[in-house]
Amino acid sequence: MPALRLSDKPKYVSLPQIESRIPKPEELVVLSKPLLDATIMIGKVLIDCTNKWAMAGDAAEVISGVNVQADHIAILTTKEGCDEITRKLVKYQIEPPRAVEREIERDAKVDLKLHKVWIKSYTARFDVQGSRLDVHGDLQIKVGDWEWGDPLDFEPDYVYVVGVKLPIIPLKVKSELYTGLGWMDRASKIHEAVMRSRHMFG
Amino acid sequence: MPTTITEPAADVVILGVGYMSGVVAAELTLPGLTYKVVAITKGPYWDYVNDFSTTKYDEWGVGLGRKYDSPLPLQSATIRNTPQQFALPVRRYTMPIQYHALGHGVGGAAQHYGGTMGRQGPWGYTQKSSTVTRYGQAFLDGVNPHSDLEDWPLTYAQYEPYYVEWEKAHGLCGNYNGSATNQSSDTGYPWMSQNYPLPPSPITPVGQLFQTATQSLGYHPFPHVSALASQPYVNQYGVPVNPCVYDGYCGGPCDYACETGAKANAAYRTIPAAMKSSNFTLVLNSFIFRLDTDPSSGLVTAARYYDPQGNVHIQPGKVFFNGMWGYNMIRIMLLSGVGAPYVWNSVPASVSGAVGRGLTNGYLPYKGTNVSGTLPNNGGNSYPAGNGSGGSVDIYDLMDDNFDHTGLNFIGGTEVGAGGYPGGGPGNITFAGSVSSASMGGTFKATQKDKYLPTKTTLSSTPFAHDLPTTDNYIDLDPHYTDIYGDPLTRLTYDWTPNTYNGATYLVNKVKDIFTKMGASNVTVGSTVAPGAAHNDWWGHHLRGGCRIGTDPNTSVWNKWNQCWSPVSKPVFNIFGAGEITNTSGDNVPSGTHIAGPQSYRAAEGIKQYLALGTPGILP
Repeated sequence: MPALRLSDKPKYVSLPQIESRIPKPEELVVLSKPLLDATIMIGKVLIDCTNKWAMAGDAAEVISGVNVQADHIAILTTKEGCDEITRKLVKYQIEPPRAVEREIERDAKVDLKLHKVWIKSYTARFDVQGSRLDVHGDLQIKVGDWEWGDPLDFEPDYVYVVGVKLPIIPLKVKSELYTGLGWMDRASKIHEAVMRSRHMFG
Repeated sequence: MPTTITEPAADVVILGVGYMSGVVAAELTLPGLTYKVVAITKGPYWDYVNDFSTTKYDEWGVGLGRKYDSPLPLQSATIRNTPQQFALPVRRYTMPIQYHALGHGVGGAAQHYGGTMGRQGPWGYTQKSSTVTRYGQAFLDGVNPHSDLEDWPLTYAQYEPYYVEWEKAHGLCGNYNGSATNQSSDTGYPWMSQNYPLPPSPITPVGQLFQTATQSLGYHPFPHVSALASQPYVNQYGVPVNPCVYDGYCGGPCDYACETGAKANAAYRTIPAAMKSSNFTLVLNSFIFRLDTDPSSGLVTAARYYDPQGNVHIQPGKVFFNGMWGYNMIRIMLLSGVGAPYVWNSVPASVSGAVGRGLTNGYLPYKGTNVSGTLPNNGGNSYPAGNGSGGSVDIYDLMDDNFDHTGLNFIGGTEVGAGGYPGGGPGNITFAGSVSSASMGGTFKATQKDKYLPTKTTLSSTPFAHDLPTTDNYIDLDPHYTDIYGDPLTRLTYDWTPNTYNGATYLVNKVKDIFTKMGASNVTVGSTVAPGAAHNDWWGHHLRGGCRIGTDPNTSVWNKWNQCWSPVSKPVFNIFGAGEITNTSGDNVPSGTHIAGPQSYRAAEGIKQYLALGTPGILP
């Protein structure tokens, strides 16, 4: 059957248009494929882990809908948890568990002053299908000349990643941490994600 | 002055950006692939925070004005019940004529649905051959005069892996489908190789009663399958999903957009993944009005669309995916001369063509044999609200061929369920036009007093069997009415088939037993409603068939890869399609979308294979 009529005549019609904007790629929150695959694999392997653990770091924020860039996966746990996770992921291990203390790249901003930030933890490092995984046991933070904080403790939230139920550091904990460090840009990104996930702007 | 603009050529041009198109876009722009993909929609991109958060609580504007939906002044459809009638256009989105609107923009109609899902069981894919084998051709002919029922090209087992992908992409919630063994040997139920990726929403007390009652009757209850995310989720494309906040403005008069993106649709599940790719281009507010075809090969060479300024754009491509909603999928093919149009004849053996053929309706007659009862001690509190499709429990035992139909006058049956959230959707203003003493004045006001704190639950069911395709129900172009651009509207020639009514008359007593077992009082079966007691005067947004997938290019538009193989003499094989309208018939579950979903994955796979062919043609 031939086409009914092949129109090439421009035609203006008066219809109300709904204004909208196509988001830029950088505005869309998507976990990259390598990190996603590694996350799923880790979640499956650690499903029966007896020690408390949770996804942490930037990847965990992306999973929770926060618009940040993630380049590796981090897990927060206890010292015993780090040992247990290492046993389960031993074939991916690139650095065995050991106590690590280091200054991080970004300073804290407290009372308008910049302070160095150190973290120490019982840390193991892995390469899971090409993605870096850092496991931190009993992570502590020190700001400037103050005392070391207590090891970070948490009650995880849960997110289903393609059907795999994963414990994850609650955004509330991250937000409080960032606020304490004066990283308001990061706290603000969390706030943005929380607003998008709640009824009537949170 | 408006002008004509030729766009850079793409590998794949996607028509419409709804559920099915989202899958194709995401799959063809996966990391590592280099296809240039362009997707065109007539509406906007909806941002659920900015567009819905403060404006969706507008029952009049959403439920009646359909302010998020496809504007009827742009295009409508005409409807008649028989080929002898003059079809009249739908001019408003309100009952009793019409309340199911087309979607508009990215996400399509799934921006405003209740989130109901449910797989089709194995029988649904072979219902013609299974019925003839078990009960004989004469039985089918008696049940469905002028039957045009067809089997699917693939079996349930062959579609099952695609179901899994589709459910993962959209984060469906549930817990299996009632199969006692969950093995492929259980041919009566949609067994699953993987459970749904999210658990169901909490089951209501009425749902729990239904579960206990049906179990004691030997049935196999399972939580209603829902596309409203019950938990935070990340899909296989890495897109994070917010969970449902149970705000209650979800269901109701089909329906309310979601302000957290928990209601699954392409805009918040698949399209974001595609938009991350530099190979993907999204074109908004652009009305596709024609497909250009090559005169010698018949293949589609470009899609033509109007932009908001009235300019004509020509978008060339190698392959086209027709993901437009329902009858628009058919209309664009008829307008463009793509595929063999269906030509009706009063003698079934004399009909011809495939495009527009086999129309059925997922929505069923508004009059049918009904059963009702009251759970006196099961009240509720609707104020905490709920969502549109969680909380209830279903059984598949009274559908498909899960009971013996010997001596009955229908095939198939229905999914039966109970226990949805009492506050799942607003209901103050629902169906304008249904004016009666119960919907206005003092009687109406008296019913409002304790409306949100009911002290009892009313159970009611009209368990229609599914609608079957006949040679007399079809879609073509209306010779009288046009859209705003001057092109003919879609004309629906359609009425409900006897199978629907006859199923209700039989099944109602089965449901009566369930209600009684649940402890309901005053369980009453209404008077028998004969076939044809009500006539279709709306299009519904769950039209099925009309652009069918099938095993025969004479009667179906799409082959097993959802690739066009019509007309037989010169198939237009560079266009693929998927959607409810490609389902071979009405079905027994409320979601034709869920059944169409696997086809979108098949189509995406087919398009990749097609683009890899040395000599383009029909895929093996």
